[in-house]
Amino acid sequence: MAAFVKFWGTRGSIPTPASWTRVYGGNTPCVEVRFGDTVFICDAGSGIRELGKDLLKRRPAPKHLHLLISHTHWDHIQGFPYFAPVYLPSTQIRVYGRHDNGVSPYQLLSGQMSSDYFPVSFKDLGASIADHDLGGRKMIDGVAVSAFPLNHPGGCQAYCFEKEGRKIVYATDNELEIGAWDVFPDPDNKGPLRRCPKALIKAMQGADLLILDAQYDDKEYAAKRKWGHSSCYSATDLAIQAKAKSLALFHHDPESTDRAIDEKVQWCRQRAAAHGAALNIMAAREGVELKI
Amino acid sequence: MSNAEAKMTATIRILRRERERRRHSLSEFEGDGTQRLITLTREETVMGRSPDAHLRLSSKRASREHAFLRVRGNDCVLVDNESRNGVILNGVKVHSAVLHDGDVIQVADNVFVYHED
Repeated sequence: MAAFVKFWGTRGSIPTPASWTRVYGGNTPCVEVRFGDTVFICDAGSGIRELGKDLLKRRPAPKHLHLLISHTHWDHIQGFPYFAPVYLPSTQIRVYGRHDNGVSPYQLLSGQMSSDYFPVSFKDLGASIADHDLGGRKMIDGVAVSAFPLNHPGGCQAYCFEKEGRKIVYATDNELEIGAWDVFPDPDNKGPLRRCPKALIKAMQGADLLILDAQYDDKEYAAKRKWGHSSCYSATDLAIQAKAKSLALFHHDPESTDRAIDEKVQWCRQRAAAHGAALNIMAAREGVELKI
Repeated sequence: MSNAEAKMTATIRILRRERERRRHSLSEFEGDGTQRLITLTREETVMGRSPDAHLRLSSKRASREHAFLRVRGNDCVLVDNESRNGVILNGVKVHSAVLHDGDVIQVADNVFVYHED
């Protein structure tokens, strides 16, 4: 059975509606991963609003949803109060994410709906919303879902979905740090592959689709080290080393125009070709659905 | 409200409605470089090799009902209809996509550029 991946929000940091973000989109992260009737939602950025409207139009409308939160920075949870299915008593939502110091994403999702921030209280939502723990790896409706840590201020985690030989990895808000041994910056785009964490290469090995943080180019990254995001070159190098089939550059910078993102894709494709990698590279774009 | 003001208000309303109703079209480039303009007037346009397809494709690589172009509100959505050779958008194989002005669509051996007014 094929899996489907649809991008509902691809922008990092803050919603960026503008004439120059029309193509790739201005909504913050939300990606739907669907295996048959089982719907996984990666992050609840502002893109989840349109997903919610779409879910209600489907026949039959999915009633059991799995919401996986990478971390609880605003751009990954801000759409939740506008996700229409949470107001319907017929909806059941299971929320997964990192538990830090005893605080769960569920608690932080509900916290952003206190009366100081939002007019509707979390306890007044119609849906049944429950906190769940993946415990590293869990079978959900026949899909093996696992989580692994990423390098981001305050922590973050990636999610991997596997079923019947298909593998999809959602790994945003991750800084692939560039060491002294790496060629950086790499203006000619011909340097050797940068060293990437072995744990990430292993976790992503052979993926059909990697959705990776690629917020910056090398020049932008130089000015924003330790901000918790990666150069698109480093993301490409990780995908090559993981022998992934396809890479979607994700978490576009709020300052990146559609044209700038197109250029990043071209540079990354050139880089992959220079290393002889059979890697399909695209930029995640709102409204695009892939069949895996 | 004076008659002139009422007329102006009505005119603005009509113009806004027209502006909101986007027109969708494709231009197809033939092998000799000539261009064919196809205006998408239907809610759903079927692209394929079938004689019944609205937009007929002659290539043997095309499936009978290869893909759909669906107009939804202001958007035009390209959907692959489980075709054998898929649909390529700007060089990427996709299942479906909301189209934007200038998108290059490849269906079998045919190449189209999408336009919105």
